Amino acid sequence: MGITDQERMIARYLNGELTGEDTAGLLRWINESAANRKLFVEIKDTWDAASKNKDRQDEQLLLFYKTQAEKKRKAGLPVWTALSSAAMLILALLFGVLRQETSSLTSQIESFTVPMGSRSNLILADGTKVNLNSGSSLVLDDQFSPQNRIVRLTGEGYFEVTADSRHPFTVKTDKFDVTVTGTKFNVSSYADDRNNSAALLEGKIRLRLDNQQEFVLEPGQKLSIDRLTRNTALEVADRVSEMAWVNGEFVFKEIPFPDLIRRLERWYDVKLVYPREAFDSMVYSGKFKNQETIWQVLDALKLTTPIDYRKRSFREFELIYRPM
Amino acid sequence: MSDFDRIFKKYHTSLFLYAQKFVRDEGIALDLVQDVFTAVWEKKIANKRAQSRKIANKRASNLFEALPGVSDLREAKKLVPDEEYLKAYLFQSVRNCCMNHLKHEKVVQKHREQQILSLTELQYYQSGEKSLIEKENLDQIWQAINSLSDIHREIIELSRFEGLKNKEIAERLKIPLRTVETRLFRALSALRTKLPGKTFIALFLFKFDKMIIR
Repeated sequence: MGITDQERMIARYLNGELTGEDTAGLLRWINESAANRKLFVEIKDTWDAASKNKDRQDEQLLLFYKTQAEKKRKAGLPVWTALSSAAMLILALLFGVLRQETSSLTSQIESFTVPMGSRSNLILADGTKVNLNSGSSLVLDDQFSPQNRIVRLTGEGYFEVTADSRHPFTVKTDKFDVTVTGTKFNVSSYADDRNNSAALLEGKIRLRLDNQQEFVLEPGQKLSIDRLTRNTALEVADRVSEMAWVNGEFVFKEIPFPDLIRRLERWYDVKLVYPREAFDSMVYSGKFKNQETIWQVLDALKLTTPIDYRKRSFREFELIYRPM
Repeated sequence: MSDFDRIFKKYHTSLFLYAQKFVRDEGIALDLVQDVFTAVWEKKIANKRAQSRKIANKRASNLFEALPGVSDLREAKKLVPDEEYLKAYLFQSVRNCCMNHLKHEKVVQKHREQQILSLTELQYYQSGEKSLIEKENLDQIWQAINSLSDIHREIIELSRFEGLKNKEIAERLKIPLRTVETRLFRALSALRTKLPGKTFIALFLFKFDKMIIR
């Protein structure tokens, strides 16, 4: 066997494309000498170490664990004992891992951060459920308790606030504060988005801008705030697209191209570079299930828009304008 | 954050990748790693209960005291930080779990050679050799990938990050399959030389420096 032959055989073995017969051949070659064995193990080791595991975030692993557990449950396998210990782990993680940044600096302030490309949910001390979207963080007031319910949000969060008429729940963002007593609502306050918004699904919320302007929202209403001009617009909230990200879907309705790109970047934790002039006037609607890879999403865009794309570097793509 | 959470965050990914070296199936690898963490978690709880029964006012036990093997080792060499032992313990446990799995798995005839290859590799690491995953932190490995030549980086990204088969890579890059295979091997050889694995000492001192203060 020549040098390139074994190189190719090992390469094939690594990518799982070696047939049974060839595997036997490889095994023979490996056992011929200690040097062969060492070479094989070292190359295999380098291959293993260079693994994907894209975001290497434990929050993501957490989600993965949850889906694994879900899959097992659906498959109806007798995994309850294993699952209960898994559940223990997940609980420990939910309440532990997310609080990572707390202990070291100030003992009082609790903060939860979700990295790009993943989403997370948590339950606060008063029973309020919060879903955090990619690249968002939630900081609890240092006196946070069921009697003092104040949190600060950057990015996007969906809240299901435990009802308590005597103790209002306040979500602060850099542009506005939302005060409620018990409702379901979505707040989007990404600083790199042109428009921020609060959409109400149930109950009632009071919204106060940083210039002290106040709004009261009814269910099904959405208030958008232009971060630059501070213009506000009261719109009808689209329940499906407001809730989509909470259910792991990626839905967008008539949004400008730059907004779409930013959402994709956050959702997939990638960087997308494109010539602004060519695309800025385009408006998009669409829906993805988050099962798709970024390649597939870009391929879909390619079908409907005059673009092409190429990979530039690790998790970075360049979109190219290509008139039809 | 408790010791447990911190340890989990720090080592879970590495241990998972490590398990996948020997057990290809992602689900099984995750399960094996989870078994190890569950055992650590349960020992921690059992230990905590025993302690709180014994001594009323003693401070809460920690992970390192919870694992008999670890604390014994620590007794023996007080100078070495706990965490090095805990880390060794975790990798050792994952190794053992994989070994048991491979030994007890009903061997399907056509996968026999694959399995022997995995076992050969496992034995290699049982003998005391350390894997890159065990030695380096993952960020360093990714950095090393980024420092490869474009051609080598591309092929590792396509096969490892995008999970493409050699044939698919050949189609995408419009080059012959033979070239893909040779290039992949060469890229891995190049990467191997960029990861000399002499970071152990540096890493060790660094950890010592940051030894956990409880």
